[in-house]
Amino acid sequence: MSATATPKQSQPIDAVAVIVRNELVTSASTRRYGYLRLRLPQPIAIQPGQFAMLKAHGIYEPLLRRAMAFYRCELINGQQEVEFIYQILGRGTQSLAKLEPGDKVEFLGALGNTYDLAFTRTTTMPEVLLPEALLVAGGVGSPALYLLAEELLRRGIATRLFLGGASQGDLCGLEDFTALLTPERITCATIDGSHGETGFVTAPLEAYLQTHAGQPLMIYSCGPDAMLHAVAKLAARYQVAAQLSLEAPMACGFGICVGCAVPVKADCAEGFVYKKVCTDGPVFWQEELHW
Amino acid sequence: MTDAAPNNQPIAAHSPAAQLAIEIAGVQFNNPVWTASGTCGYGLDMAGLIDLNRLGGICTKGLSAKPMRGNAPWRIVETHGGMLNAIGLQNIGARAFVSEKLPELRNYDTRIIPNVFGYTIEEYIEAIKLLEDGPGIHAYELNISCPNVKAGGESFANDPRQAAAVTEAVKKAATRPVIVKMSPNVTDIAAIARAVEAAGADALSLINTAVGMSIDIHTRRPRLANVTGGLSGPAIKPIAVRCVFQAARAVRIPLIGIGGIATTEDALEFIIAGASAVQVGTANFYDPTAAMKIVDGLADYCTRHNLENIRALVGTVVLN
Ligand SMILES: Cc1cc2nc3c(=O)[nH]c(=O)nc-3n(C[C@H](O)[C@H](O)[C@H](O)COP(=O)(O)OP(=O)(O)OC[C@H]3O[C@@H](n4cnc5c(N)ncnc54)[C@H](O)[C@@H]3O)c2cc1C
Ligand SMILES: Cc1cc2nc3c(=O)[nH]c(=O)nc-3n(C[C@H](O)[C@H](O)[C@H](O)COP(=O)(O)O)c2cc1C
Repeated sequence: MSATATPKQSQPIDAVAVIVRNELVTSASTRRYGYLRLRLPQPIAIQPGQFAMLKAHGIYEPLLRRAMAFYRCELINGQQEVEFIYQILGRGTQSLAKLEPGDKVEFLGALGNTYDLAFTRTTTMPEVLLPEALLVAGGVGSPALYLLAEELLRRGIATRLFLGGASQGDLCGLEDFTALLTPERITCATIDGSHGETGFVTAPLEAYLQTHAGQPLMIYSCGPDAMLHAVAKLAARYQVAAQLSLEAPMACGFGICVGCAVPVKADCAEGFVYKKVCTDGPVFWQEELHW
Repeated sequence: MTDAAPNNQPIAAHSPAAQLAIEIAGVQFNNPVWTASGTCGYGLDMAGLIDLNRLGGICTKGLSAKPMRGNAPWRIVETHGGMLNAIGLQNIGARAFVSEKLPELRNYDTRIIPNVFGYTIEEYIEAIKLLEDGPGIHAYELNISCPNVKAGGESFANDPRQAAAVTEAVKKAATRPVIVKMSPNVTDIAAIARAVEAAGADALSLINTAVGMSIDIHTRRPRLANVTGGLSGPAIKPIAVRCVFQAARAVRIPLIGIGGIATTEDALEFIIAGASAVQVGTANFYDPTAAMKIVDGLADYCTRHNLENIRALVGTVVLN
């Protein structure tokens, strides 16, 4: 756990981080978000899809830290800075929203598994078509896909984003994704029609799957449960592999409370067992979930 | 260890090791701070975040004779000063604990205390027998808060006779000391404590969670899929201190205090009420280093108060 310039795969750290930026925005849908940037006391290895448990430092209530996906991360002169986008909902995120640059945050991370990128290995067999990655995000699920998009591009994988939200202001991280992927590779959908298509993001996703039937595709998705269920159905119907990044209420984030149970298919009488979103996930294959 | 005591007396005998070493039911513990069942997995799950060698003991997640799948989600909800859980005792089973977890856990210089439960006395015995095969186990902790399905579903912990019956049966089957874990959801905890002591328990740990409930006012549905759950965390600490205090006046066997312990001050309160050791539970979730900080804090307290050993403080509550 020593601080090195090039962090390797390592154990999570439990540390106090310092706020560099904490900007609050309100969407026309009245939902509120915080764009949080933290400086960590030491560099850590962060894989796409991983998360941290966060809590305002020194506060008594709420007791539990809140799970937040790493949005972006950057190493500046050996100093690790990480970003999150959080939706302001209950007591935990409300207390985060009160913090200012220089204030401190209790940080536990990096936690959880990462996306399976094994399919990109087809590059060793030039005759095999490189697949295209379809990133599907709803609301504040998009942060969990940004590091993935970066990694896919680094590997030369064509990457497309379908981003949905209630209103334009709920398309979290749209500017950053646009800079990374170019506008042509992003399709947006909003319920109120304020940006992109009107309706759910699964509509343009289905249209795309219809016109690209038989092509090698991989879906990566994160968002509200209802959206993930719809994405899972589409993936099954169009026989496209899909990896879903799940959310569940969790007390610890590192596997000891067993609160964040998700039913996963198993070879037993009931047909499923409960796995933990925090350590077995948060990323699961669509077909392994017993939904 | 080189720190001088405030009055500059030599402190050779007052090393943290000497100050905190305790014995309970014939087992030597490096210190009186353990992690509580269900809040530290099988111990190893915390190895990346804390030094397990610094814990006095580790009470494992509740183990049954057969693996248990646990309850449907949602299983947890945070309340004020605590949380409700209805995990449903999900565990890998006593056999898998012995073969998959114990060999690695034994490498640490701590005491290993499997927490055991069942829904009939026979199931408790079955689990104990599987654990008897495991080397390096120091004691058992019996979670008697489960419903006894052969006696109308009433919890073993609620009835002095049932509590005594399961204790007696397990004592016969176990070659290791048996700590019986008490439930706060009873009218007269002293009566249960006496019955369990008479049945041969080597020590009591208390308390398990307090039954609670939380409702979402928008959907009017219980927030937990299981409807009710166990309340833990700082919110239950005064109840737990009271239970330890009452049990201390009822029995002579050692007590292990549990319930909302997150700081050194919390632990001291339990010790003064009558606990020889303490367990840290929910605090592990939001501050994994809480138990280690309490170990340091207790040693510091001994030094400041010139106590040779923390045991001098046990049950020293001053009553007018
Ligand atoms: C791996 C992982 C990654 C996550 N990443 C992000 C992220 O990047 N950005 C982000 O904003 N959130 C993220 N979340 C979700 C976030 O952790 C929870 O929503 C968190 O509980 C919010 O805390 P709070 O204090 O605002 O609300 P709480 O006080 O916890 O709850 C407020 C209200 O919201 C409800 N609620 C809480 N959690 C959920 C949930 N998961 N689904 C539905 N309702 C819920 C509660 O019942 C309550 O009514 C992630 C969760 C996980 C498990
Ligand atoms: C998520 C969770 C799981 C628990 N599982 C068990 C268990 O399997 N067996 C048991 O005897 N107690 C179990 N407990 C109870 C704790 O060991 C402890 O008695 C209780 O939580 C009170 O202590 P605390 O307030 O410090 O958490 C569990 C508690 C929590 C919060």
